[in-house]
Amino acid sequence: MKESVRVRAFARFRELFGGTIEMDLPWPATVRSVIRELEKINPAGLAELVDNEGNLKKSVILMINRERIMGPAREDCPLRPGDEIAFYPPVAGG
Amino acid sequence: MIQITGEDFDPGAFIEGARKRGTGAVVSFLGIVRDDGIERMEVEAFEEVARSDLSVIAGEAMEKFQVQHVDIIHRVGSLRVGENIVLIVVGAGHRKAAFLACEYIIDRIKEYVPIWKKEYANGESRWVRGDHAGEVTGKSERKKLVRQ
Repeated sequence: MKESVRVRAFARFRELFGGTIEMDLPWPATVRSVIRELEKINPAGLAELVDNEGNLKKSVILMINRERIMGPAREDCPLRPGDEIAFYPPVAGG
Repeated sequence: MIQITGEDFDPGAFIEGARKRGTGAVVSFLGIVRDDGIERMEVEAFEEVARSDLSVIAGEAMEKFQVQHVDIIHRVGSLRVGENIVLIVVGAGHRKAAFLACEYIIDRIKEYVPIWKKEYANGESRWVRGDHAGEVTGKSERKKLVRQ
């Protein structure tokens, strides 16, 4: 079974993976499932998003439905159909 | 007023708008594209989240420093040297609270709100380094400059 989520990427990550990606994922899915799909889009670019162990770099901000997801195991956060998952690098506004 | 806009704005109009009964001080901060040898910059935002974050920060400043009025206007899009990037206007009974609130707001914007800048010069571009990971993970890794 597959379900859809919407992935959004900003700034450098938008350039690497695209701004908005409608993704069909094998279900049940976690944030890690999204990372695997992003690797298919840009295998070389993934190194800017994850560390050598495949976990999101600490500098990467992850949001699900516009809520910041914190904690060491945030890649294992389960997804619900229709979720909006956003990735962005450290901010530099103002 | 909290606004993320592709249009320029008139700082004077916002400063005038901050006057209320009981206002004794209006402090403003205007961020401008500096001539660091660049031709222009692109400002990008996760607009829905940025707008919401700016509202929260304005509310925090009003409560923390007991100020009466806060405007935050942030541009997005392509900006040339000398153009306005961000305006913060704080109205308060006394100057100290207005200064402190204004500084608090710009500091919080720089460390938390999803907005990024990319600078263009001599056919090259680079993302302005963000030193903060939005206070999500504590220490942040410094993002390396990307040249294209």
